[in-house]
Order: sequence, then structure tokens, then C-alpha cells
Amino acid sequence: MNFVIVLVALLGSVWLLAVIEGWTTTGRLRLTAPLLSGLAYLGRESIVPRTPDRVFFETAPVLLLIVAVLGAAVLPLAPTLVIADLATGALFINAALAYVLVALIMAGWGPNGAYAMIGGWRFLGQLIAYAMLIVMPITAVAMRAESLVTTVIVGSQDGLWNIVYQPLGFVLFFIAAMALAFRAPFDLPTAPGELGGGVDAEYTGVRLAVLRLARLTLVITLASATTVFYLGGWHGPLLPPWAWSLIKTLAVAVSMLLAGRYLPRIREADLMRWCWILGIPLALLNIIVVGLLVLVVP
Amino acid sequence: MYAQAFFVAVFGLAAIGFGVVVFRTSSMVRSALALLFSQTAVGCMFLAMQTEFLGVLQIMMMATEMSIMAIFMVMFMMDPGGMGGMDMTHQKRFSIGAGVVAAGVAIVVAFWADWGPVTAEAPDAAMQTRALGIELLGRSMLIFETAGVTILTAMIAATAVAIPVQTTANSADKEDTE
Repeated sequence: MNFVIVLVALLGSVWLLAVIEGWTTTGRLRLTAPLLSGLAYLGRESIVPRTPDRVFFETAPVLLLIVAVLGAAVLPLAPTLVIADLATGALFINAALAYVLVALIMAGWGPNGAYAMIGGWRFLGQLIAYAMLIVMPITAVAMRAESLVTTVIVGSQDGLWNIVYQPLGFVLFFIAAMALAFRAPFDLPTAPGELGGGVDAEYTGVRLAVLRLARLTLVITLASATTVFYLGGWHGPLLPPWAWSLIKTLAVAVSMLLAGRYLPRIREADLMRWCWILGIPLALLNIIVVGLLVLVVP
Repeated sequence: MYAQAFFVAVFGLAAIGFGVVVFRTSSMVRSALALLFSQTAVGCMFLAMQTEFLGVLQIMMMATEMSIMAIFMVMFMMDPGGMGGMDMTHQKRFSIGAGVVAAGVAIVVAFWADWGPVTAEAPDAAMQTRALGIELLGRSMLIFETAGVTILTAMIAATAVAIPVQTTANSADKEDTE
């Protein structure tokens, strides 16, 4: 039952995010726009490029969708509303998200196109750098909760959310989440206007529809992870727990969207340099500070 | 019990199947990702054997490791897509011999080694994670720290080797080409 509820919540959030995305780009609020454009994709011809790696080409969009949903499976909407309350939940979400990289390399290599391939390999560098900024802040979160179980992590924030307890970790995780979801200004693998769509370039029709759906699902999963790890998950007054989870998740997703709208795309070299030279030392500092807080403050 | 044996067997066969694909394809990226999915299947075997932390860790680590290997293979091989019809195999007889001998040794060890008493019931996943943490920061700390420092040294050395040495001669060349 939990499985169905979480899946419906995920789909609903994806739909709302697509509506808001359309609203910010076109200036018109149309609730049916995502459904209509989805149907339009299904009606279009789905072209297969010449001499593709067919296995990769077909697998990539589906794999991206699967890993986004798998990541969401360990994130609780309410104390008992979680698909799998694993003992290694905080590690499992990293494992699932690591396959975003595999999916993008497949999508880049599969179509046998130059722009797609550059986009795919670009994401390799991007993710190897920014995966550290996903893992290390989560380590600090697990240190405070003294557990990898996601429901215990939310429980540990009763009274004081992690965004206040470890603000540095939150900033790093938020930036890394945007890089992992390849949202603007970190949209180097797709880079419209520069790479002609990158990994998206050769996908059309139903395959592109799956790819777009997967990408939006990934944003929601990462926004939900930010909520669970830093914004106190289901904690909040008056409203039921699941409502707070959904509101916070959508707020984080929309803030990612807005940050992308008002910032220019970052150069690849700068993106890497900031992460390796600034981001990772800061993430280590965050672990040390949280360690001291956990051990010193009663 | 039967379900557990079934899943261990299924993932084991998947691991072998993907392992075969590694050598049956000429595409370097396909080969690397087949190795990745072979290792992922091994991770799933860990999960089926109720060692949750090790399974999830295996599944996570292999994704980035094998992807990095894929780009190195693309960089260094002459026909990375396998579309040029190049034969990527060599020393076939030797490798068949080595493979058969290694498989034989593995089977002999599997059947003859004394594996000790089998645990009737695995401790729950949270306890396993805790026990593993205490092991890593206790008895095994020296081994892992030594390995970590060795790898770090290799990384620094490799980076140092890759940076071109600036001499007056080649900096002049560089200015010419620019």
C-alpha cells in the first residue's frame, strides 16, 4: 500500500513541478500542459540514429527513471509512510543515485552522436566531483542521528532541523543535488544552445518522454532527500506529516528551478575547480564541526 | 531459505552472464558496463545473503569505478566502439589455460576448505553495520589506513607525472604554437 501511495505522491509532485516549470518559462499557468505535451511525445516519431549501441540507447531513459524511483523508495513521507525503511537507507540513496551517472553515459554513448557523447562524458567528471558533496554532507547528517535509517534521521531533527544545526552541509548538499540532477546552472550534459541538447539530442518521441519524466522524478527525489536530511522531513505544526513532507519537497524543487532561471550556466573548468578546491575541504570542515558538536554539546 | 537460495543462484548466474559479455563484445564501453552489471549482480548476491551494508556498498562503489574505467578504455584503445572490426583478444591459448586452472582451484577451495559452522540466523542489518564500523576502526584500522594512504600516494604521484615539466625550451615551443 505504501508503495502505491509514495508512487502517486511522486507522480503528483512531478506533474506539479512540470506545471510550475511551464509557468515560469511561458508565463501561463496551464494545469494540463504536462499531460498534453506527454501525449504529444507519444504521437511523434521515435527516431533511432544510424548504427547506435541499441542496448544502451534503449536502456538509458528507463534506467534513469528506475534509479530516481529507487532513490525515493527509502525516503519517508511520514513516520510509517516509506516503501523500504532500510537499515542502510542513507547509503542506499547514494547507491541508487550513482547509477544516474551510468544512465547518462549510456545515453551519451548509445546514439553514436558527437554532442550526446560529449554530454555523457562531461557528466562523468561532473558527478565524480559532486558525488563527494552528496556523500560527505550525508555522513555528517548520519553522525548526528547516529544511524543510517532515514526515519531515525528525521526523528533526530525533532526540535532543531539540520539546516540550522549544520548549515554548511545543507548549502553543499543543495548545490550538489542540483549538479546531480543536471539542472541549470549545472546543466552541462544537456547544455541547450551549446551542445544542442547533449545527451537529449538524439532522443525523440516516446524515449524523450521517458527521459524528461525521469529527469523531473530525479529532481523530486533529490528535493525529497534534502527535506529528509536537512528540513526536518515530516515535522511541522497543524498539517498532517505527509503534507509537510510534500510541501517542503515541492518548495525545495521550485527553489532549484528558480536558482537555475536566474543564474548563467557555469563553465566546466570552473565547476570542477570550485568543487575540488573549495567544496570538498568545506565538506570535510562540516564533518569536523558536526563531530565536535555531537561529542561536545550534550 | 529456498527463496534465498533461488535469488543467490539467479544473481550468481547473472554475474557470470555479464562476465561472459565483458569478453564477447568489441565495444570498450559495453565491456566496462557489462563488468559493472556483473559486479552489481554480486552486490545483489550480498543482499540476498542478508548482508545489507556490504551489498549496498558494492552496488554503489562499482558504478563510479567502472564508469571511470570506461572512459580510460575509450581514451587508450584504438577502436573503442568496436566498429572498426579490430580483434581485441590476444594470447588466447594461454588465457583459456589460465582460466580453466583458476576455475579448478576456486572449485577445489570451495569444496575442501573448512568454512566453520554456518550462522543459523544473520544479525539484523543495523547490528551488522555497527559491528562492521567497530571492526574497521579497531582491529582492521591499520590495514585500511595503509591501503588508503598507498592509494592517495599513487594518485598524487600519477598527477605529478601527468603535469608537463616547464623548461625554457618547451615553453618557447608553446609560445610558437600559440
